[in-house]
Amino acid sequence: MYGHWDDYGALQMPLIFEAACAAIIAVAAGSPFGEPERATGRWLPYLRLGTAVTLTGLAAGALAAAGTGLPLAGGFPDILRNVAGLTGIGLLCATVLGAPLAWTGPLTYLVAGMYGLYTDWHPPALGTPWLWPARPPHDVGGALCAAAVFAAGLAAITLRGARERRGGDGPG
Amino acid sequence: MTAATAPAAPRPAPTGRSARRGAAAAALGSGRLLRLELRRNAMLWLLPVVFALFWYNGYREIMALPPMWNLRAMSLQNRLLFDLAVPVTAAAAWMGSREGRRGIADLVAGTARPRWSRQLAGWAATTAWAEAGCLACVAVVYLMTARQASWGGPPWWPAVVSAAGVPMLTAIGFAAGAWFPGRFVTPLATVVVFFGLAFGTQAASGDHSYWQISPLTAGAVDIGAAPGVATFYRYLPDLSIAQVMFTAGLTVAVLGALGISAARMRWLAVVITAVGLTAAGTAVALAGTGRFDPHGMIVIPALHNAASDQPVRYTPACSHTPIPVCVHPAFATFLPAMTAAVGPELTEFAGLPGAPARISQVTAVYRQVSGNGITVSGGGTSAAAFVVPDQVPGWLGTTGGEFAAQLDEGMGIQLASDMILGGDGQQSASGPGQAQLAVIAGSVRFPSSVESRDLAPLYGRLLPQPGIPADRAARRFAALSPAARHAWLAGHLGCGARCTGTGTTTARSRCR
Repeated sequence: MYGHWDDYGALQMPLIFEAACAAIIAVAAGSPFGEPERATGRWLPYLRLGTAVTLTGLAAGALAAAGTGLPLAGGFPDILRNVAGLTGIGLLCATVLGAPLAWTGPLTYLVAGMYGLYTDWHPPALGTPWLWPARPPHDVGGALCAAAVFAAGLAAITLRGARERRGGDGPG
Repeated sequence: MTAATAPAAPRPAPTGRSARRGAAAAALGSGRLLRLELRRNAMLWLLPVVFALFWYNGYREIMALPPMWNLRAMSLQNRLLFDLAVPVTAAAAWMGSREGRRGIADLVAGTARPRWSRQLAGWAATTAWAEAGCLACVAVVYLMTARQASWGGPPWWPAVVSAAGVPMLTAIGFAAGAWFPGRFVTPLATVVVFFGLAFGTQAASGDHSYWQISPLTAGAVDIGAAPGVATFYRYLPDLSIAQVMFTAGLTVAVLGALGISAARMRWLAVVITAVGLTAAGTAVALAGTGRFDPHGMIVIPALHNAASDQPVRYTPACSHTPIPVCVHPAFATFLPAMTAAVGPELTEFAGLPGAPARISQVTAVYRQVSGNGITVSGGGTSAAAFVVPDQVPGWLGTTGGEFAAQLDEGMGIQLASDMILGGDGQQSASGPGQAQLAVIAGSVRFPSSVESRDLAPLYGRLLPQPGIPADRAARRFAALSPAARHAWLAGHLGCGARCTGTGTTTARSRCR
């Protein structure tokens, strides 16, 4: 943000950092302990929920703090919405693909979000609220979609946890 | 004598036949390893993501462009690698971190093949799948364009740059994964590479910028893919050559650096790394010597071939209008839109004294100004030559109405003023009279999208000020049919610069 970025950069660069945070949170959703941890008791789902919510809040706060005093496009509402939505995607990916591969969702969505922001300059703009990074920060539709995805991700990771593959952590 | 002290049996010197057999066995082994890596590669699973991203981000936008080879090929270079960056780098980092991530580094260290060799096989397999995805995207765009383009053939350099960028992405990702194996390395390496690629072009400023070396940069930074670039003249490969040199050099350097940790081949790895870095550094330096040429492309003197400066031969496509409008065949798609926009003017002036026999498109002249600013000019001072605006329908969302407005503001005004005022050097020193302004304004049909602010620079010079009697006369003249205006002009245009008007009605305009 301290560089001489043009209008694209002003909006697109925060999204990259938000996606990175979401990918890290999603990858961190997996536990290295496996079966012994699951056998410890009924508090594990709460621990997963608390971890995800705490990390998401910390990420949003850290990003907002990093942008303090700078002309951050969209402000804190934009950060919160994007981080929450991207984290939701990551948590869903962790549930389906496993934590080691959970980065695929946020990073793939990052490219789509970058393109959505690009179309704000080069019409026709993409109007779907499911591409919330391209929507204005106070757009209700975009916020609802991001919140819905975050809620779904939280519910999935709380109830099921990150998927554990028997044959390894994925292809390759 | 114990076994420990027994002299080792002398190894027989390899004969030519056994050496060939050994080399063949090594090649066979490498082939098997590569096949194994190809079957077990994460990039294969990410190919659908590659295609989805490219379709969503790149393909739709590229295919929405007018079917001109230069536009689509240059846009492809700008988009394809950007869309590939995330899945390709991530897959490479994932594959590179495999041994460390799975804790099998010590296990495979005991195998016959050195670590560097195994890593190169993994990198090659990842690159092969990524390259296959890249080339598939290129093929689709080029095949579709070949079916639609009205002229020319594919410029291959943008595709070559994209293809050369893929090994660079995989090398960086693979090396990051190999050096820092862990669960967070894949997303972090991917984000860093994506950030560098996406924002590397933003630092570029002017034609001497070193940042032009980014493989996403196709042509001059502030023009990029424009209809007038690489149409009348060949696509200059200077910048593309430097970009390929840079990506290849960086790839070699990173792959060489992977082997530095191997004790047996350290010197070889160091030499390879140094060669790669030298190539990449040279390419960056060459990019900094670029200059913007009048045809809209970047010339790098050390890489430039003067033969590329020759204009391309073509047979113009002409309209069947009273005054034929002839354009470069690559622009033939827009000919109907052009004749529709200026058709009334062409009908009105056809056959009149001083009317051009035909109006031909000429090349635009581009000039670098401060920073990334670029001016586009051309067309000369005669109505017989015109420049098609770069903002053709479909280019960056330009509509047909906007294109027509630009044509009327440029070509229409030029034709009308040339006819009424007499063309080159014949205009009176005192400027046009009110009647002349009235006729010019009444002859040019501006679309409704043209607003007063667009015409403000022309008021007083080529158009009457709004609200004055000449403006009212122009409106009455415009209300006539093209045939009626033609008849009126046929009776009055011979007066040339001596025409004047009372300012009350056009009909009262008279010759002295």
